[in-house]
Amino acid sequence: MIRALRRVLVIEDDAETAKQIVDFLTMRGYEADLAVNGDDGLCLGESTEYAVIVIDRMLPTVDGLAIIRRLREAGVVTPALIISALGEVDDRVRGLRAGGDDYLIKPFAFAELLARIEALARRSATVVKETVLRVGDLELDLVARTVNRGGRNIKLLPREFQVLEYLVRNEGHVVPRTMLLEKVWDLHFDPSTNIIDVYVGRVRRKVDGEQAYPLIHTIRGVGFCVRAPR
Amino acid sequence: MLLAKTLRSTTFRLALISIGLFGAVVIALFGYVYCSTTSFVLSRSDSAIEAELATLRNAYDKSGREGLIRAIEQRSSAANFEGGVYLLADELFAPVAGTLKKWPAVKGAGEWTEFRSDALNSRAGTDQLLFRARWETLQNGSHLLVGKDITDLGLFATEISGALAFALLLIFVLAAVASVSVTRRTVGRIESINMTSRAIMESGLGRRIPLRGTQDEWDQLAQNLNSMLERIEMLMAEVKQVSDNVAHDLRTPLARMRGRLEKASSESSAPDHDLSLITETMADLDDVLRMFSSLTRISQIEAANQTAGFRTVNLTEIATEVAELFDAAAEGKGGRVGVFGDKTARISADRDLLFDAISNLVDNAIKYGRDGGLVSIRLDQKNGETILSVSDDGPGIPSEEFEYVFKRFYRLERSRGTPGNGLGLSLVAAVARLHGANIRLFDNAPGLTVELRFPFIDNISEATDHRSAASVYSTPF
Repeated sequence: MIRALRRVLVIEDDAETAKQIVDFLTMRGYEADLAVNGDDGLCLGESTEYAVIVIDRMLPTVDGLAIIRRLREAGVVTPALIISALGEVDDRVRGLRAGGDDYLIKPFAFAELLARIEALARRSATVVKETVLRVGDLELDLVARTVNRGGRNIKLLPREFQVLEYLVRNEGHVVPRTMLLEKVWDLHFDPSTNIIDVYVGRVRRKVDGEQAYPLIHTIRGVGFCVRAPR
Repeated sequence: MLLAKTLRSTTFRLALISIGLFGAVVIALFGYVYCSTTSFVLSRSDSAIEAELATLRNAYDKSGREGLIRAIEQRSSAANFEGGVYLLADELFAPVAGTLKKWPAVKGAGEWTEFRSDALNSRAGTDQLLFRARWETLQNGSHLLVGKDITDLGLFATEISGALAFALLLIFVLAAVASVSVTRRTVGRIESINMTSRAIMESGLGRRIPLRGTQDEWDQLAQNLNSMLERIEMLMAEVKQVSDNVAHDLRTPLARMRGRLEKASSESSAPDHDLSLITETMADLDDVLRMFSSLTRISQIEAANQTAGFRTVNLTEIATEVAELFDAAAEGKGGRVGVFGDKTARISADRDLLFDAISNLVDNAIKYGRDGGLVSIRLDQKNGETILSVSDDGPGIPSEEFEYVFKRFYRLERSRGTPGNGLGLSLVAAVARLHGANIRLFDNAPGLTVELRFPFIDNISEATDHRSAASVYSTPF
C-alpha cells in the first residue's frame, strides 16, 4: 500500500463534474487522467496502468458498460468504479455483471468517491490473512470473535462485531455509510434515515466509552473512520 | 381442476340451457305426433262404430228382434269390421246375443266409453283387450252395444313413449358430450389466456398469448390482447426512457452544484460564517436528492412489475436484522424493538426491497410511537399466507386517515415538525404491491399496526438466499 499505484483514469463527459473529480483527486495526492469520451477512455485504459478506473455509466455515444466490457476483453483487470445518474437497482446489478467492481450514484460526496477509490486500490494490493486485528489498544480476534480493549473484554452482537471488523480492516480510511451497509448487511440502497449513524454510535459507545482516546470517528456527511492517535 | 373449471364455466351453463330447451321441443313434438295420431285413429274407429250401430238399428227397425240377432251373428262372423264387438242385452242388461259374455262397465247410453274385456272370438289367451264402444236402448227396452278393439292404440302409445324416452336419452347424452367438449375447448383457450396474464403479472411484459393459427374468434382475441401488450410494453419503455433522462439531466447539474459546494467547503480560506452556510446548503441539497431518489425508486419499483430478481428469503431473518439495526435507535428513546412469532417464514421476495420496506415501517413506529415504548414485528402463517405486522404502542393515527397515509408526500398534521418526506409508506405500498402483498392498517389500541399479508406461494424453491447466511443475529423469541 505504501508504494501502491496512485494513478486514476476518469472517464466522464460532463466537463465540470470531470474537472471537479480530477481536482479533488489531485488535491488528495492522486495523479488523474481524464478522458471525455469512450474511445479516449478505452485507449488510455488499454495503454496505461492505473490503480482504478472511474467511469460514467452514460457517455454521449457509447454505454460506459460497453467500455468496461471491452477493457476486460482486452485483458485489463484494473478495478472499475461506475458512477451513474441512474439509481436503479437493476442498473447496479447490470453494471457489476459487466465487469464493474463498484457502483456510485450521482451526485456523490467526493469524500465517498475517494473512499471507494481507495478501497478498490487497496483491493488490488495484496490482502494479508490475519486472525487478530489491532488498532491502538483495541484487539479483534477474528477466530474467537471476541473484542478487547486495553485487556478488557467488550461484548458485541454479531452484526456489531462485523461493523467493527470492517472499520478496523480499513483503518485510517474513510468508510462511507453506504459501503458499510453493502459490506456488512449486503444491502444496496441508501436508507433515508440516519439509522447507520445511530447503529455505529452504539458500537462506538461500547468500544470508546470510558477509554483514554476514541478510535471510531464520524466523518461528517460521509461515514466513519477508525484511527488511533499517533 | 379442468373439470371443475368446465362445470363452472359460462359456456357450460349456456349449453345446459340449450339442451333443456331442445329437450322440451322434442317432448312437445312427440306429444303432438301422439295426440294427432290417436285422435285420428279414434275418430276413424268411432265413425266405423257409428256406422255399425246404424246398420244394426236399421236391421232392428226392418225385421225386429230376431232380425237384429241374425244381423249381429252374421256381422260378427264377417271380417269387414275388424276387432268389432257386439252385445245385445235385455232390459236388465243380461246378454242375449253378441260377442261379449257380459255387459261391461260402461257410461250411459249414447256416450263414448272405453272398457277392458275378454272377447268371445278374439285372440285366445291374450290379456284383456281394450275396447271403445257406444250403446243405445232399443224400442223394446233391450240394449245394443257396438264396440271396437283399440288395444293397438294403447300399444302405439307405449311405443311412442318408449321412443320418446330413448330419443331424449340419446339427445341428452350427445348434447352432454358435445357441450362438455365445446366447453373444454373454450375453457382451454381462456385458460391459456389466463395463464399468460398471470405470467405477465409475475414476470413482466415479455410474454405473449400463443396463437393457434385457426383465425377464429379466439385467435383474434389473442391477437388483440397481444397487440395491446405490445403497446403497453412500448409505452413502459418510453416512460422508463423519459424517467432515465430526467434522472440523468436533473442529477448532473445537481452533481456539479454539490461538487462546487464541497470544493468551497474544503477550501480553508472561507470564513466560518460562509462555511456554515455552505454546509447547510449541502445538507438541504442532500435532502432534495434523497427525496428525489426515493421518488424515482418508488416509480421504478412500481414500473418494474417483475419478480425476476426474487429469491426465497426468510422473512423472519430479515425482520430480525431490521429489528437489531433499529434497536439502537429505539434505545435512544428508551424503547426497544422485538420480533415475535414464526421462526421460519419463507417467501419469494427481493431482500433489499423488503429490508427497505420493513425498515420504513419500524422507523415510523419508533418515530411516532411512545417514548420508551415497544415496537413489535410479528410474523405469522395463516392459511398459507405469511403475515408480517409492525406495531407500536404510541398514540396511533385516526382511522379516517388510514386511507391517505400511503399517498406520496402525505404527512399527518402532527408529524410535520419531524424529519421525513412523506414517502416512506408509499415505498412500503409499492414494495407490497410488487410482492403481491396486501397492506392494511389497524388500530393497535393503543398505537398503530401495519400489516403486510404475503400470498401463498406453492413453488418456493429450496435454493434459499444464502447471501445473508454468514452471520445471523437472533433475538430470543
